[in-house]
Amino acid sequence: MDYVYFVYMINSAAKDNTRNRTSPKPSFQKVLRKSSLSFLAMTPLLLATIGLVGMFQVLVSPEMLASLFRGHPLFDTFTGTLSGAAAAGNPMVSYIIGGELLNQGISLYAVCAFLLSWVTLGFIQLPAEIEVFGGRFTLYRNILAFIFAMITAMLTTITLQVLS
Amino acid sequence: MKKQEKPLTFRGKYLLLTVLLFYGLLFLLDRQSALLALQKSGAVLIKIIPIFIVVILFTSILNYFIKPKQIARHLGHESGIKGWLWALAAGVISHGPMYAWYSLIEDLRGHGMKDEFIVVFFASRAIKIPLLPFMIDYFGLTFTVVLSFYMLLGALIQGMCMQIIQSKKPG
Repeated sequence: MDYVYFVYMINSAAKDNTRNRTSPKPSFQKVLRKSSLSFLAMTPLLLATIGLVGMFQVLVSPEMLASLFRGHPLFDTFTGTLSGAAAAGNPMVSYIIGGELLNQGISLYAVCAFLLSWVTLGFIQLPAEIEVFGGRFTLYRNILAFIFAMITAMLTTITLQVLS
Repeated sequence: MKKQEKPLTFRGKYLLLTVLLFYGLLFLLDRQSALLALQKSGAVLIKIIPIFIVVILFTSILNYFIKPKQIARHLGHESGIKGWLWALAAGVISHGPMYAWYSLIEDLRGHGMKDEFIVVFFASRAIKIPLLPFMIDYFGLTFTVVLSFYMLLGALIQGMCMQIIQSKKPG
């Protein structure tokens, strides 16, 4: 469906281009060069974020994350969201840590919140996000993601309890 | 007269400098950990280079074929329901870390993409299609289906909340 829509967008764009041609269209090479340059301008920002990810992966172990949980569902959901937001790396790692946390008796509320915030939040990428999208947008987006990670975790756990 | 190109201005120079200082400090305190961290960062970089290439190509294709006016029509104020669905689908199919997509999203935003759609895009990235089999294996099919459903719903509601916040923005 996405690809069909993409083709539709390209087609409608092409139609519009033939209808209102006001200035000569730059060559694809020029557009590619412009996109590459604007991406290049962002490299220090991206390299810094990647550097922080590597440092975090070495300095913060899964055991350190597991030790944060206390066994209280609400508190653990909050902790799960916070630790997921502070963590960095491939989401696959979050599944492994999440599975381990469940085995250690940590509530599904917390594990669910942890999995969600791992991918939607990121303290490490905050400086980059602020630089690109501005402080206001970043603040609101992260607050929303934080709240919704907790709500989604609770709803998922409750629904699973009802279904079982 | 030929239009002059803007000079290249690097962004995040001070952040990179701060991270390098952290590495220097870590190198002095624990050389082994510093080297391991560098190794891990290198591995992350190598892994996401293909995504960077995709992002550059995708940005170029969009800029070449689609005019800002058209982007605004599909992802801007006049986009309607299809804008929400497009942002949701783009978030689900996008791969790699969030920061790899900053450049493309910033470009689209400059062409009129609404902030609520950016929120939906980032929130729906919680669903990782290639990793779904692993999630099912670790947590079960029911968990994966229920969580994915709430994630998609949550992404849309987050976008709507952003829309409300934006409408109350002074000025």
